[in-house]
Amino acid sequence: MSLELLLIIAFSGAFLTYLSGKISSQLRDGVAVLISLGLVAIVSFLYNVQTETVFYQGFFGISLILRMNSLAWFFAIAIVSFTALCIIYSLSYMKDCERSNYYYFMMLLINASMLTIVLAGDLVTFFVAWEIMSWSTFLLISYNRNGALQAGIKYIVLSLIGSMCMLVGILSIYTSFGTVNIADVANHLTPSSVGYKLFLLIIFSITFGIKNAIMPLHTWLPDAYAESPSPFSAVLSGMLTRMGVFGFLLIMYVIVGMKTTLHLGRGFLSFNTILCWLGAITIVIPTFIAMLQNDAKKLLAWHGIGQGGYMIVGIAFGTSLGAAGGIFHTLNHATYIVLLFLSVGAIEYSTNGLRDLNSLGGLFKKMPIAFFGGLLGISGLIGVPLTNGFVSKWLIYKTLILGNAPFLAFAALLGTWGTVLSVYKFLHNLFLGQLPEEHKEIKKAPLTMQIPIVILSFTIILFGILPGLPLKVINSIIVAAGFQALDINIWGVTSETGTLNMLNIFAAIAVFGAIFWGIFKVARKSTPVDQYDNYAAGAAVPKNKYHYTVEYYAPFYRMGKPFLKDIFDMFYNRIAEAIGSICDSVRKIYTGYVGSYVMYIVLFIASLIFVQLTWSIF
Amino acid sequence: MVNPILLIVVPLGLAFALPIVNLISKKIIKYIPVLAFLFNLILSLLLIPKVLEQTIIVKIGGFHPPFGINLFVGPVGILFSTLIALAGFLVSIYALSYIKEGPKEKYHILYLLLLTGATGVVLTGDMFNLFVFFEILCISSYALVAYLGNKAGIESSIKYLIQGSVGSSLLLLGIGLLYGQLGTLNMADIANQINSISSPSIFVPMIFIITGLGIEAAIFPLNAWLPDAHSSAPSSISAILSGIAIEVGLYAVIRVIFTIFNASSFLMFFVFLGVLTLLIGEMSAFSQKNIKRMLAYSSIGQIGLIMFAISLNTQLGISAGFFQMISHTLGKGLLFLSVGFLIYKTGSMKISSFEGIGKKMPITSLLFTIGAFSIVGLPPFAGFASKFMIIKAALTTGQLLFTVLIGVILLGTVIEGAYFFKVIQSIYFKGTTDIIKRDEAPLIALISMSIFVLLIIFIGVYPDFIARILNSAASEFINRIDYIRSVLG
Amino acid sequence: MNIIALFVSPLIALIAGMFFLGLSRKISARIQWRYGPPIYQPVIDVIRSFSQKSITHGKFFDFGIILSLSSSFVLILFLPIGKLCALTSGGLIAFLYLMLMGPFGIALSGAAAANPNSSIGISRKFLLALAYEVPLLLVLLTVMTHYHTISLVEIVNIQANSGWAFGSWALILPGIAYLLILPAILGMRPFEVVGAAQEISSGPIAEFGGKHLAFYTLQHALHVFVGIALFVDIFLGGWTFFGLLNPLAGTVWAVIFGIIIFLLKMTLVLFIGLFVNAVYPRFRIEQAMQYLWKWPTLISFVGLIIVVLTK
Repeated sequence: MSLELLLIIAFSGAFLTYLSGKISSQLRDGVAVLISLGLVAIVSFLYNVQTETVFYQGFFGISLILRMNSLAWFFAIAIVSFTALCIIYSLSYMKDCERSNYYYFMMLLINASMLTIVLAGDLVTFFVAWEIMSWSTFLLISYNRNGALQAGIKYIVLSLIGSMCMLVGILSIYTSFGTVNIADVANHLTPSSVGYKLFLLIIFSITFGIKNAIMPLHTWLPDAYAESPSPFSAVLSGMLTRMGVFGFLLIMYVIVGMKTTLHLGRGFLSFNTILCWLGAITIVIPTFIAMLQNDAKKLLAWHGIGQGGYMIVGIAFGTSLGAAGGIFHTLNHATYIVLLFLSVGAIEYSTNGLRDLNSLGGLFKKMPIAFFGGLLGISGLIGVPLTNGFVSKWLIYKTLILGNAPFLAFAALLGTWGTVLSVYKFLHNLFLGQLPEEHKEIKKAPLTMQIPIVILSFTIILFGILPGLPLKVINSIIVAAGFQALDINIWGVTSETGTLNMLNIFAAIAVFGAIFWGIFKVARKSTPVDQYDNYAAGAAVPKNKYHYTVEYYAPFYRMGKPFLKDIFDMFYNRIAEAIGSICDSVRKIYTGYVGSYVMYIVLFIASLIFVQLTWSIF
Repeated sequence: MVNPILLIVVPLGLAFALPIVNLISKKIIKYIPVLAFLFNLILSLLLIPKVLEQTIIVKIGGFHPPFGINLFVGPVGILFSTLIALAGFLVSIYALSYIKEGPKEKYHILYLLLLTGATGVVLTGDMFNLFVFFEILCISSYALVAYLGNKAGIESSIKYLIQGSVGSSLLLLGIGLLYGQLGTLNMADIANQINSISSPSIFVPMIFIITGLGIEAAIFPLNAWLPDAHSSAPSSISAILSGIAIEVGLYAVIRVIFTIFNASSFLMFFVFLGVLTLLIGEMSAFSQKNIKRMLAYSSIGQIGLIMFAISLNTQLGISAGFFQMISHTLGKGLLFLSVGFLIYKTGSMKISSFEGIGKKMPITSLLFTIGAFSIVGLPPFAGFASKFMIIKAALTTGQLLFTVLIGVILLGTVIEGAYFFKVIQSIYFKGTTDIIKRDEAPLIALISMSIFVLLIIFIGVYPDFIARILNSAASEFINRIDYIRSVLG
Repeated sequence: MNIIALFVSPLIALIAGMFFLGLSRKISARIQWRYGPPIYQPVIDVIRSFSQKSITHGKFFDFGIILSLSSSFVLILFLPIGKLCALTSGGLIAFLYLMLMGPFGIALSGAAAANPNSSIGISRKFLLALAYEVPLLLVLLTVMTHYHTISLVEIVNIQANSGWAFGSWALILPGIAYLLILPAILGMRPFEVVGAAQEISSGPIAEFGGKHLAFYTLQHALHVFVGIALFVDIFLGGWTFFGLLNPLAGTVWAVIFGIIIFLLKMTLVLFIGLFVNAVYPRFRIEQAMQYLWKWPTLISFVGLIIVVLTK
């Protein structure tokens, strides 16, 4: 199966879906699912294939290349699988929405463009796909109207800034070396000066930093995640944002090369240390800001930023363990954040669009599957042992501690402990606690929404207990990047400085769980009671009178609120306002009075004469 | 062998024949421009391969230059005449359904004259002829701006007229001074002798000519007429003014600078002026609430970008500039045309009145969106390919200054993106969510706009298609000696 | 050895934990001039609880507490008790994460009960945890950085040479910090905010009765054990006692005496903690957080800087 065919299917599938939607919506749903599942099948069939093909030469004579290797395959399979799940989920989520043809078209177009990004073997293909992804994402972020419009503009402006930086970088490579083939560029770059490499790294880091929402370039993300339709939020947070991680891997370890990247700088101030620290800041601050959020999706969005920090720290730290951890965390993060967004989406679906943490609660008996997904999702996000998040975080912590970077490790660990608080609030305020009267009778989430949740939950546990499955592929990625290979077993990582064996831990928990479950069963049976049959030390708990989950961590809010603001967002908004007012005053040059216009003409001539008389340059 | 002079003669003749045809039948006059530019388009396309092989010099009346008037049909000329014929053809198809009221026969006459003037400017090899064609171009556009007969149209037409006349006088003055010193009006001959006279006496005619032409080329600060004129003209004319007229003006400026005066030291100044024009244009467009004014300011920005590219004075830079001209003609033409029907259906030029129009006119909105994407420079549309080439040209020079200026230009692109995306949002994602009855633009207009889209995508995906002609066009500017030789023999 | 540890260490931990619970009640009583319950009172409580009626708010309510207790037992397997250590996979990092699961299980269970008091208690528990985790993480990172390992067993073994960690002066500051936060970890006064019986009717466990309460008590005993044992392992040298056991090296007796020494050290730590803290009144949660983020954090932070600089 050639790569061109794969992309042709991906892109034409998007158009086909749109056209079939004109005929009937059932047909469109069928086509969309078929295309997305077909892509999963094709990509998985390409496992372990190493190939490179020139597919087009009409663009200024540049050979545009597609290539497949372990890095590309890893990201490609993740992209198509998560999108496929989200498409299946959308079938009922987007059922009665307006412009659903458009929605599916954009979803599949984004999917196809992401696929092209990871398969691109040259920088021009990469850029073109990157831009198609950017504008189609913009069009889908704006889909929900109202607040989404502002989010969309914020996204596209930052995204444009990023891509313009990248364009300059790519063209500077092209003009210096006359090639944009990634492999060739890497070869050409080896003898070039340190300054030039640093320039490339920085300029690409701005692009990928914006996409991966590294502080202080993160401000587009919270609004964009919160305002998009939930299945798309899932794709956005799961894979699209992580194209930034892919980009970092590409520029740091493929193009510039590992040996160079890790030694750019003097003393403490080196490129990767600074990136690590930016990553560390990205872990800590958003995690704490997340605690203040009352919008379920916004809370997840801030965690999306925070978790991105782990990936960056892992990758930028530049050890086998770190890189493997960073890449693995990208996959794991996608798994659980997609799951969480889908769970929130299920709640939105059942409660007619509610996602306010202060007006929900107690849904765990009404929506067991969504709750199950939410629970496993937050466990993954925290990194509870036996979930996949634990393994990748463990890899990152270990390399930080043994690499003598305890402060980075502290930031990473602190981020986790902050995460516990906010995601528990998330779970508690949505699913646990009191069930408000008005949600006693809710719409049941249909099967097509439950299947993706179940699959993802299962994946979290599977990769948590048998992390060797994905780590094997990741190992080949880091080896290709020039790192030392890790000793991977199906159950974890072996090493002299500390082995991780998830199967052991699983066995221990399973055995003890079974024992105590047995004891619990054997012991005297307990009486089931209603949720309002509570012990309240003599005082009755009034029904529906108050909602005790509002301001869940009130003491902390009182302490932290003055400090936990998104100052960068405010700063950027100021700049945007300032630019707006400058633009407004520039516009006043055109006064509308023809006398002044003629004066401009005279002034123009006068200034030309003045310049000539003074410097006589012409 | 087909004679390139037909490119000018046929539309001009048809323009004069049109009143007579009007006497016979009022219905068929609107097809005359279509026919005229279809003819021009086919002729230009036929000429391209020949011109690429060898420049065609048409000696009018058989007098040899420098004694007679000649047409110089080089790669640049044929490139522009093709572009003019293409835009003229598509816009006249569009106008079949768009121009429904007002003195129609006058519209069609002026339209033919406008584009004839433009074709003449790009093909002529004679300085005075240039002035004459330029005046035809300008005067017909003054009249067309006021075509709708409303207050805004007449006011901006008069403003345009005042500034245009100042420009024309300066141009004439400059040509006169040059003639006084050299005794010739043939461009090649002037170019040949330009080094024989002292630089101060070249300087004065030069700045007069440049300023005079620069007014039509919308170079900052000579472009104040543009937002008014472009926004109050009928949309089909706005498309031509933005897509063709100012580019022809810019062509004349650079022809004068490169070929006649060989003033390469002047180009550094133009680099800065280009960036300034771009920034002023984009920033003024940013806070516009009137869609056509916004597009007009965006044209100023695009002209700045083209100026920058051409003023790089490298083979690559100049071809990038021409490429940008092509993509601007297609993109901005498409934008003005689609906006024409958006305005027609909503009855207002305010961006806020377009809320929800995406439901009412999905196809027109889609066409607008594609045009906007192309102008902003997003792949896979033509705007991206040309911007790609410009940045490459700037970086190839290897000078830090140009790299920094590229940064400024890209900042302008970001601003441009911001305002275009806001419009796209209000078209699609604002307004009512109810299902509205479709009220689409007429089919004939949609077809004409779709051809624009097809070209935008085709050139965006396959820029090599026009690479050869762009390259020869750039060489024509770089090698002025060849120009002189081929005319004077 | 591992197989034995698998069975023995949970038992030791359970017994010792229950003993410490009783002991702490007795000592507190004596400090406050009361007679106090007998030391085996917690055992009686557990047995009685099992025989009593209980209510349940559904399957998840049960699941939470089972999860909590089982993961606490798993945690014990990671802890070197004397020379016994059943599981080493993942080292101290895995240990830290597993420490999280006990409270997390209780939190799930308590929240499933929909009792306002439970929810308030859980919110306090998490805030307090966040408060003491900051200095605790710093302390553990200091130790791991100093010994350049993430394995608890190795940390103990390295100390065998000098008998305890304070042989190297760089670890004194973290040691002090750990002692300062120990009451917060154990939920003892003045950090008794989570289960404040008089305010929020015992907080997270307000709905627990019968077997649920029994499970909770067992979990709590293990938690107390872990909190103290961790200190003994990383600062007081675990099973070692200034080379006392060197002559017995390699025999079963070394193991047995190791455990005894270990437990004695733990008792000592418990005593110190109780005497210092039993006289304080209860903090408000903000006060607790501010206190924990002030002195213990500062001390441990300085400790970490010293360790990094002296490396």
